[in-house]
Amino acid sequence: MYAAELVEVTKRFGPVLANDGIDLAVARGEVHAVVGENGAGKSTLMSILYGLHRPDAGEIRRDGRTVALRSPADAIRHGLGMVHQRFRLFPGLTVAENVVIGAEPVRAGRIDRAAAARKVAALSERYGLRADPSALVGGLPVGVRQRVEILRALYREAEILILDEPTAVLTPGETDRLFEVLRTVAATGVSILLVTHKLSEVMAIGDRVTVLRQGRVTGRFTTAETNADELVNAMIGRSLAPSAPKRARPVREDPVLEVRDLTIHDADGVARLSEVSLSVHPGEIVGLAGVAGSGQRELIDSVTGLRGAVPGVFLAGTPVLAGRDPRVAYVPEDRHGRATAPGMSVAENILMGAQRELSSRWTLPTAAVKRRARDLVDRFAISAASVDVPISALSGGNAQKAVLARELTRPSRVVVAEEPTQGVDVGVRERVHALLLAARDDGAAVLLQSSELSELRDLADRILVLYEGRVVAEFPGDATETDIGRAMTGATA
Amino acid sequence: MTAPALARRVVVSAPVVAVAGALALTTLVMLVVGVDPTLAYPALIRGAVADGNLEYTVAAFVPTLGMALAFALPLRAGEFNLGGDGQLAAGGVAAAALALLVPLPPVVAVVLPLVAGALAGGLVAAVAAPLSTRLKIPAIVSTLLISTPAVALASYLVRFPLAEAGTGIAQTPTLPDAAHLPFLGGSGYVTIGLPLIVVLTGLWLYADGRTVTGYEIRATGQNREFARYGGVRVDRVAAVALAGGGAFAGLSGALIVLGPPYRFVDGALTAPGYTFTAVAAVLLASARPVVVPLTVALLTVLQVGGQGMEREAGVPSQLTQIVQGLIIVIVAVLATLQARRRR
Ligand SMILES: Nc1ncnc2c1ncn2[C@@H]1O[C@H](COP(=O)(O)OP(=O)(O)O)[C@@H](O)[C@H]1O
Ligand SMILES: [Mg+2]
Repeated sequence: MYAAELVEVTKRFGPVLANDGIDLAVARGEVHAVVGENGAGKSTLMSILYGLHRPDAGEIRRDGRTVALRSPADAIRHGLGMVHQRFRLFPGLTVAENVVIGAEPVRAGRIDRAAAARKVAALSERYGLRADPSALVGGLPVGVRQRVEILRALYREAEILILDEPTAVLTPGETDRLFEVLRTVAATGVSILLVTHKLSEVMAIGDRVTVLRQGRVTGRFTTAETNADELVNAMIGRSLAPSAPKRARPVREDPVLEVRDLTIHDADGVARLSEVSLSVHPGEIVGLAGVAGSGQRELIDSVTGLRGAVPGVFLAGTPVLAGRDPRVAYVPEDRHGRATAPGMSVAENILMGAQRELSSRWTLPTAAVKRRARDLVDRFAISAASVDVPISALSGGNAQKAVLARELTRPSRVVVAEEPTQGVDVGVRERVHALLLAARDDGAAVLLQSSELSELRDLADRILVLYEGRVVAEFPGDATETDIGRAMTGATA
Repeated sequence: MTAPALARRVVVSAPVVAVAGALALTTLVMLVVGVDPTLAYPALIRGAVADGNLEYTVAAFVPTLGMALAFALPLRAGEFNLGGDGQLAAGGVAAAALALLVPLPPVVAVVLPLVAGALAGGLVAAVAAPLSTRLKIPAIVSTLLISTPAVALASYLVRFPLAEAGTGIAQTPTLPDAAHLPFLGGSGYVTIGLPLIVVLTGLWLYADGRTVTGYEIRATGQNREFARYGGVRVDRVAAVALAGGGAFAGLSGALIVLGPPYRFVDGALTAPGYTFTAVAAVLLASARPVVVPLTVALLTVLQVGGQGMEREAGVPSQLTQIVQGLIIVIVAVLATLQARRRR
């Protein structure tokens, strides 16, 4: 008997068949990975299991009995817990308060805060989920917030824990810690459903794997008996092309992007960047490594003009323009923050930045705008029902391709890419890498910021390491991850 | 979309649900307080459209539509302009002052006060822009804060420097004939303000959907950080949108003053509650600009008809304000539910 089963689950969103007769069964105490490209239907399936969506057909069983899950409250009652892609915590409350909220221990009609803190401390002890019960959630790093979400589910005695892409927001170290926790939790008999699209993680922690593609199951594997190639085949229906060879082409031309002695203080007078100098030449990719918050944000905002007119930043020999320098193509990291306006159509999102060039005086040539968008959707293989649908209807990978389509078709010789493959699957990642390499080969100067060292090593000709606002090291593109990683922690070679 | 599907979509759409719900609740209130709805509603309709009342309804439609634009335009940029009353009064007093103090030739005597009214309204609204962009006081608060002193200033000007001498009534003298808005056709109420505001509404709809400025305003409203990243000068766009909204309010004030009874009567601009009705109409249109004229028409009928209902059926006209309030509440609830369902 399985702890939870989804039987022939089908779910449509308008014309999109997000889940098409999916069967999935999770055994007690098992870590079950669910993998698939962006838009494969993973989140939808998990939302159905957690009562957030109603399936159009099919059923859900718990311990062999069919259950009706009309809301997350129903799901919680049936022993399900979920850690969402975006956390749902109250920043102004403490860890303990966030954990017990909605099911607070009560004494004499009042919330028993001491008991709450005690229970939470006991839970975190038991599962190795280290978190200070009295700390305010708002001040905690992402990895710890995620632990709070897990604690919340365990506090409600979840027997099935669903995690939707939990590692997308974590550093490699935090990911390792999370996996240790998940193993401990599974050992107590809790079943874990782990959604991811990183194959290394599947191989590292999964007992079994279910692969989804276009809403259907395209493979079921036992981790011990499969390999990454087999999984990739099931995920994208073909094998990956070997990664593009790097060229050791000497760069002779003058740099198009130059930063000289850039120092930036924040509002409190703390230096965020100190005497940073770098140059990027046409036809090269310069990688930017560093732990989060080492000055990447300030550097990139200076280079793109978004920080205003900053002395010491030059594009093709002239100072950067305040606002947004149109000479820079910029792929921002957070698709929901900067890169898109979710409520606007695909065409209107692709238009941003080009609206003035495309228009004669005041009037926006709507037909031409749509034609151009359609053209880019085709060229960049973006799957969208039409260019009139809101961009929020696209899967993350397709939205990212739309952002790249917009930016890489700007008439610019400098490309700034920030975590360009965060939260996208292997197929899209391959495509994004090919696009960046093609831009480089066309003579663009590319500044690539990534927290994935393997990505920097795959693409960059040189890698600069930022630490506490300074460039502390420069490596050739084929340096080892160990060396780069050491520089990222500030250890001098 | 098939015809039945389209029909279903219209019937269950937020505006229809809100109006139906509000009317149902109002009916309930009538029954509770002992008013016969079968008398009250016909009285309401008659009060709005019968016996020459239609003209009066159309005349009230003009400033309400103007005030709706005053709220809707900044809303597209994500700014809530709740200071309509102040902008309306400023526009009215500017138009009256110009018409009274500066002798102008025909035509110019109408056009210039209208322009002055729009400028004054725009100026009052624009004061809120730096407060929100620099001092981070949200426009929803700053516009409201500035509104009260603006209304008071207009009131002071009307009572003292511009007051009609010797009557002791808080109003300006009648404006010179050249400044009177011509009537439309044979009407005694409806002036050329109607075609003017209709044309301006059309221009706004066109600008919203088909111009660079409209696009940048919408982008700013949808995601300010996205617009900024795209090179849009978001602070300026927000200021322009607020000022534009204020200009519509100021123009509405000028249209009222230049129409019958051709003077600024203290309180006459703000007492009918155009601003509130307009806010309700725009929210009812739930982010669909083309629908705004329709919702304005609907609420104007309710508003004017309410007075007829009071005369004939003895139902206090405040009841129509309850309807408007309920509509806003229902629209807000529906929007929240929808957002929750989308998660
Ligand atoms: N609420 C929704 N409304 C409309 N379409 C949706 C909704 N949620 C998901 N989809 C669509 O369903 C498909 C599957 O999406 P999702 O389950 O999020 O995939 P995954 O998590 O594997 O990336 C995608 O094409 C997506 O655009
Ligand atoms: Mg997903």
